[in-house]
Amino acid sequence: MGSDLDRQIEQLRRCEVIKESEVKDLCNKAREILVEESNVQRVDAPVTICGDIHGQFYDLKELFKVGGECPETNYLFMGDFVDRGFYSVETFLLLLALKVRYPDRITLIRGNHESRQITQVYGFYDECLRKYASVNVWRYCCEIFDYLSLSAIIDDRILCVHGGLSPSINTLDQIRTIDRKQEVPHDGAMCDLLWSDPDEIEGWGLSPRGAGYLFGGDVVESFIHANNLELIARAHQLVMEGYKSMFKDTIVTVWSAPNYCYRCNNVAAILELDEHLNRNYRIFEAAPQEARGIPAKKPAPDYFL
Amino acid sequence: MNPEDEVNSLYPIAVLIDELKHDDVSLRLNAIRNLTTIASALGIERTREELIPFLDESIDDEDEVLLALAEELGNLIDHVGGPQYAHCLLSPLENLAAVEETVVREKAIESLSKIAQIFSSEQIENQYISLIKRLTNGDWFTSRTSACGLYAPVYKKCQPSTQAELKKLYAQLCKDDTPMVRRAATTNMAKFVKEVSQDSIINEFVPLFKILSKDDQDSVRLLTVEVFVSIFEVLSFENNENLLNEELRGLCTDSSWRVRYMVADNLVKVANVVGNKTIQNELVEFFINFLSDNEPEVRTAASTQISGFCAFIPKDTILNKILPCLKNLVTDSSQHVRGSLALNISGLAPLLGKESTIEYLLPLFLQLLKDEIPEVRLNIISKLDVVNKVIGIELLSQSLLPAIVELAEDKQWRVRLAIIEHIPLLASQLGVQFFDEKLGSLCMSWLGDCVYSIREAATTNLRKLTDVFGVEWARTTIIPQIMVFAQHSNYLYRMTMIFAITTLAQALTPEMIAEIIIPTIANLSDDPIPNIRFNVAKSFEQLIPLMKTPQLQKAKEEIVKPTLMKLHEDTDNDVKFFANRALSIVDSV
Repeated sequence: MGSDLDRQIEQLRRCEVIKESEVKDLCNKAREILVEESNVQRVDAPVTICGDIHGQFYDLKELFKVGGECPETNYLFMGDFVDRGFYSVETFLLLLALKVRYPDRITLIRGNHESRQITQVYGFYDECLRKYASVNVWRYCCEIFDYLSLSAIIDDRILCVHGGLSPSINTLDQIRTIDRKQEVPHDGAMCDLLWSDPDEIEGWGLSPRGAGYLFGGDVVESFIHANNLELIARAHQLVMEGYKSMFKDTIVTVWSAPNYCYRCNNVAAILELDEHLNRNYRIFEAAPQEARGIPAKKPAPDYFL
Repeated sequence: MNPEDEVNSLYPIAVLIDELKHDDVSLRLNAIRNLTTIASALGIERTREELIPFLDESIDDEDEVLLALAEELGNLIDHVGGPQYAHCLLSPLENLAAVEETVVREKAIESLSKIAQIFSSEQIENQYISLIKRLTNGDWFTSRTSACGLYAPVYKKCQPSTQAELKKLYAQLCKDDTPMVRRAATTNMAKFVKEVSQDSIINEFVPLFKILSKDDQDSVRLLTVEVFVSIFEVLSFENNENLLNEELRGLCTDSSWRVRYMVADNLVKVANVVGNKTIQNELVEFFINFLSDNEPEVRTAASTQISGFCAFIPKDTILNKILPCLKNLVTDSSQHVRGSLALNISGLAPLLGKESTIEYLLPLFLQLLKDEIPEVRLNIISKLDVVNKVIGIELLSQSLLPAIVELAEDKQWRVRLAIIEHIPLLASQLGVQFFDEKLGSLCMSWLGDCVYSIREAATTNLRKLTDVFGVEWARTTIIPQIMVFAQHSNYLYRMTMIFAITTLAQALTPEMIAEIIIPTIANLSDDPIPNIRFNVAKSFEQLIPLMKTPQLQKAKEEIVKPTLMKLHEDTDNDVKFFANRALSIVDSV
């Protein structure tokens, strides 16, 4: 394994971007690894499960300070690496570089923000353009988004997915048959996995998001039963306490972006599963100002430049 | 020596001489740095007649070359033939003393002072005084500024008539139109008054001081604080009580905070010269004012003087007048004020004695220990030994330790981290027995903390504690407790155990590494979790450079190598990788 990659990881850990040509190489290597992964990627415990990061690079560093560094600690990130925060580029590239360097120690699955359409609206596209003066890096990353797995299964017992369930999916095998290598569609099973939310309803409901569905405790119960699971872990929704368990602890939302958008004042959480699948939630707060190494001031928007 | 050899041996010198004129600054600089070498090669006469005049002409150079030249010229006295010929160095130094760059001028003055020291009275009168006069009457403020530094070194070597003239010229510098010159005159007056007679001080320098202490530039006024101290180091304050009282009051209540800062920062020195009566009647009030000044810089400076100044005043004055101010400073809005207070307040303990320390100071310590800024807390902890001496370890532990333990269990992990970082310091102050009793279990519990960074800091902490208490303590007290983590059901805690003993190994004896550390780590190579297995390899990689004794060589061959070979055949790619990396150095060390 190249020392070049180790150097790039060190550079990204300092929140410095790597060269466009290096991004291209990195994405090529990542594609070779991700293309082999299943839509329901098998992961062994112990592993630490993380929710949305949204470009909050210094809070991701805080996450590693609390949970341990990769590769010492195994990680599973449930998508939404980019958009909204100031450092989507550094955040995604660091996670991707770690994936290439330690493919067995870190798993990345796709969130609804890992999409061409969404990133053009919520910041990742603009950030790439600003930091590289071209959209090539955005293109390379979007191509990788299409290869990211849709879900993961830990020791055959815990299903991890960014959004939630879909009315067109009853078994894990049905997820396995999806052709995932495409932009996130506007409807259908793949869209639902990345967009749906659990809710205190019975059966299925319309989602206010305009994509995916709301699903109730009975839906979760029958899915868990049908697939011999003990838990569904998902992200996708801000929870002020960092994590929130529902339906008699059969589904949990894990949220890993503290003080979301630098203004929500929420804490964040990660879920540590040990080798016996015992669950430990670790709460953490946003990185203190002195750990950020940046002025508190927001960077000037493009139209001022 | 035949002529050819002579040419060869002089070749490096010829190169240096050429380099004095080189286009490249770094080469010129190097040549100047070797000026003494060049001079000894040229011999006394040629140095005097060729080198010095050449250098005198090359004054138009980069500042860094000039700086080096100004310094090296001062080292050439012997190379030009000793004191009686040293006057030839005056001309280049005089030119350097007039250049624009301050650091060059300062170096030139330093070298000129060196020459003044070795000059005879006669040489001073004949060759040096005229130089001082030229600089003093220079057109540019740069020469006049430089002149200020030359009076003190020569004064005592002069005839009375010359001395009178020098004092007149100095007065002229003190009244110069340019503030830079007045500043230099003020700074150097502190040295000059040490050279002159007491009568001169009273009749000539005190009037000058009065003018300077009311200068319209605060940058001049603030420099008079040191002159004040200097004057009364020579004169007895009590015999000249009313000489400068008004000026002292003026400086203490100056409208510029920079002047007040200067007094506050030097208050102990001032107190030392003014005598008891002025301290009690005037300085105590000024000190109180400084401690509650509007400017945080003044409050910070005043805080540094707490214990030094309070040594001059009675205990009840401290309790009634100073302590209320300190109470306010504990919650000061500036962290620098609180930091300075935390560093200095413990010095009051010996002055107040046991009872009062417990009653009045401990509550303030407790509050500072809980300060949100780590530096403030560290400052308090770093001075606890002073308090320990006054009130004893028992009382200290009853009062402060609960607060420290509380912080050590704070729910914010960064607060816990801050305390861990202070533990080795605390340990060295409290001693081993007390430490084991009160803090030992705390240190072990951090190894099982839920936050990775705390576990990591806990391992470093144990290593530092081993440096404090010794390897035997580590073997009997902490290693057995660390070993327990090898059985932990969670891989993250078994990993902490590997980190801990690997870190600790750096502080242990080779025997302990061979008998305890290596077998324990090797045992974990069969762990079901790959992360543990590759950390076994990483641990060995770090330990291999330590394996130098015969016993450790043996352990390396019999345990470390076979273990790494086994891990090299592992099914996990990362385990293979790290085992391979460790194997690559196992034979090279």
